[in-house]
Amino acid sequence: MTIDRNVAPQPGPPRPYHFPQVVRRTLDNGLRVLVAENHNAPLVSIRTLIRSGADYDTPELAGLASLTGELLDEGAGTRDAVRLAEDLGLLGASLGSGADWDASYISVDTLSRTFAEAFAIFADVNRRPTLPESSLERVRAERLMELLQQRDEAGAIAGKRFSHLIYGTGAYGNTVIGNPDSVANIGIEDVRRYYAEHYVPNNGTIVIAGDVDADRALDAASRLFADWPAAELPTRPQITPNSLDSSRIYLIDRPTAVQSEIRIGHLGIARSTEDYFALSVMNALLGGVFNSRINLNLREKHGYTYGARSTFAFRRQAGPFVVSAPVRNEVTRESVTEVLAELRRIRTGDVETMELEDTKNYLMGSFPSTVQTASDIAGRLVDMELYDLPTNYFDRYRENIGAISKHDVEHVAEKYIDPDKVIIVIVGNASQIREPLGTLGMPIHELDIEGMAIA
Amino acid sequence: MLALEDYRLDNGLRVVLNEDHSAPLVAVNLWYHVGSKNERPGRTGFAHLFEHMLFSGSKHVGNNEHFRYVQSVGGVLNGTTFFDRTNYFETLPSNYLALGLWLESDRMGYFLPALTQEKLDIQREVVKEERRQRYDNVPYGTAFERLLNLGYDPDYSYHWPTIGSMEDLGAASLDDIREFFSTWYRPDNATLTLIGDFAPDEAKRLVDQYFSSIPAGGSFPHFNLERRPLNGERREVFPSPVQLPRVYRLYHFPKMGHPDWIAADLLSSVLSGDKASRLEKALVLEQQIATDVAAYVLPTEATGIFMMQATANEGVAIDDVEKAIDAEIARVASDGVTADELTRAKNRAEVEYAHQIENYDSRADLIGMMSTYFGNPSMVHTWLDPYRAATGDDLQRVARQYLVAENRVTSTFVPENA
Repeated sequence: MTIDRNVAPQPGPPRPYHFPQVVRRTLDNGLRVLVAENHNAPLVSIRTLIRSGADYDTPELAGLASLTGELLDEGAGTRDAVRLAEDLGLLGASLGSGADWDASYISVDTLSRTFAEAFAIFADVNRRPTLPESSLERVRAERLMELLQQRDEAGAIAGKRFSHLIYGTGAYGNTVIGNPDSVANIGIEDVRRYYAEHYVPNNGTIVIAGDVDADRALDAASRLFADWPAAELPTRPQITPNSLDSSRIYLIDRPTAVQSEIRIGHLGIARSTEDYFALSVMNALLGGVFNSRINLNLREKHGYTYGARSTFAFRRQAGPFVVSAPVRNEVTRESVTEVLAELRRIRTGDVETMELEDTKNYLMGSFPSTVQTASDIAGRLVDMELYDLPTNYFDRYRENIGAISKHDVEHVAEKYIDPDKVIIVIVGNASQIREPLGTLGMPIHELDIEGMAIA
Repeated sequence: MLALEDYRLDNGLRVVLNEDHSAPLVAVNLWYHVGSKNERPGRTGFAHLFEHMLFSGSKHVGNNEHFRYVQSVGGVLNGTTFFDRTNYFETLPSNYLALGLWLESDRMGYFLPALTQEKLDIQREVVKEERRQRYDNVPYGTAFERLLNLGYDPDYSYHWPTIGSMEDLGAASLDDIREFFSTWYRPDNATLTLIGDFAPDEAKRLVDQYFSSIPAGGSFPHFNLERRPLNGERREVFPSPVQLPRVYRLYHFPKMGHPDWIAADLLSSVLSGDKASRLEKALVLEQQIATDVAAYVLPTEATGIFMMQATANEGVAIDDVEKAIDAEIARVASDGVTADELTRAKNRAEVEYAHQIENYDSRADLIGMMSTYFGNPSMVHTWLDPYRAATGDDLQRVARQYLVAENRVTSTFVPENA
């Protein structure tokens, strides 16, 4: 049979999709436990979400939350770091821990046949970490080396400076991993205090997804965690963003650079905004996916970059809105101009019906492919808990995206994007790009790698 | 056991179907048996540049429309290139299986009519930016390239990395692209794997409709894949804009799938990967002379590669880090590994494999790889068998036989301002 290759084939009838069923229990100490069965593979993912992260770090002790997270696998109960790794390895399990801005995490991924033993060790890591001082010294030294190495990573330098310019030294303004001074300040008593104050059941959720029996998993969680005492939580520090009355460029020289790392943006909005779905669609269309305006412009039309994108970092408090692009030195000015033009264009109301429908269809249709595995499901449930999303959130996601209109997109673009008040950070070869950037008509502040002004 | 159906069309296209209704998705995955291995000196980076070109449209699919067709129905897609293969894949809502087959068959059978100089020029620039972003503008970014340069003679196909050189990318012409396509992009050089929520009879009918009219090609050019021996260790020190010295080593091995390569894979887990592993425990936890260490094998078809790297802590000489690595290797060579270490390494292999099978996309890649490198998609069922059968003696022997100075090349990155 011959086919007509000139037209795309029509789809068959759509198949239904349902997010796995979630069973919940809240223990008397306030710990929430969520279990989602998924028997596609003999694997189980276990996660702890602690609703405190680097947002609690003071400027003097920036990096504390992440160092605390990193020290959790240095020993727990009667096991030291090596013994933990050995015993988990014998079960086929792997352990991870760490923190980002809004939360701290502990994870164990294991085979379903060893779930009970792995879960017991996981509980030790949650509740009885030894947090040894000798480990802090080693992990601190590693952290300082990591910070040292970032001095040669243009993307890290640009991101760090951009955050700092928006938030100052308060929450979201340093980096999650801290800076050399603050990391040097952190003592073991700080780590133990952070752990004691924040790793408490009424600040946490345990998520179990994969090849387990939900009732048995809930019972095991109750046995292992019911006698974990609750505690009062410290008040969460609020962000103190800088206000901005006009756009400006910050240029950081990297004489060996063959590309400019560009960051353009300003303060965004919190995850809890009622405009979340409209913003998701707008940003995807603007620069969130491969076929978005910014990427098609900079990459496919001009060949300036391997990839450019825009992001609203949705966090508990207002995260940044940022467009990022590494481009070759010669087209740095042109790239800034094109990005700013796209930021203006999206606010003028020229969103086409087809690009809107394509974008919405992408967001709605691609969801199932991002939750194929036990680990994917666990990750989604952690998000749901972290941002207090309703229990039917994932089942209603498609509907919520589907309801977004052209008007909604234009409205949020106008409300949340302001191309006349952006911070532009460029890390690149100043001798090649300084002059062209001067023609953009914005003040240029040259900074050193630490962010100090260069006279 | 996965339900596999493995057959060929008359034009040589190998087709593997794996019906699985656990998600309303279908993974469409094509492995072409061509990679940077099939390039010639002076024309490096071609296979990868070509991968970019294949997203720029074909006779019935406009420029950038490939991405749009897939994303606008909720599909996700990409392509990757390595020494020995290039793969193209999309995961679609399962009612769009025909769309995926239409797109893939159009670029397999009708790519050349849509090729233009302008598209080539744009993608050439994009690939150059990719090289700058991933190799030239990042610390240690050219380490692998340097090891390949040291480890293989200039006429050997692994002498250069997949990204190619700036000079060669600049020299790529439309005629080069046409010839590359005609030589390698043909049904008898590809495996099409479909996984997911479809009825096999319907899938077969669609595959036949879209692919059976594409003609097979002629003979394939010859590449000599016999590696000449090193005749002793090759070393270099490379001053570069980095803060900490880092040593990179490449050890030569038999190709992927050989029992010694399997033993090397397990041995790499004994050496690195968690805090109980030999190198991490000795260098990072106990002696604290390194900030990180890693050892791993690469999935390569022509010859095997075992990689090792370690970053010196501040103030520590990189030579001391190398000595400590060698001491740990010597300990394995003389005393072997413990039963627990072997068990943990096997567990890790099992878990990693289970994770790859769990996801449609990575499972399709596994099947494509088994078909492309070993001519046998069903090996996906037996892949772990030699891992299970490996003994501590195998690991010890491999350490003795291969992890020796005469069998390696070493590139050391040191701070240029030190």
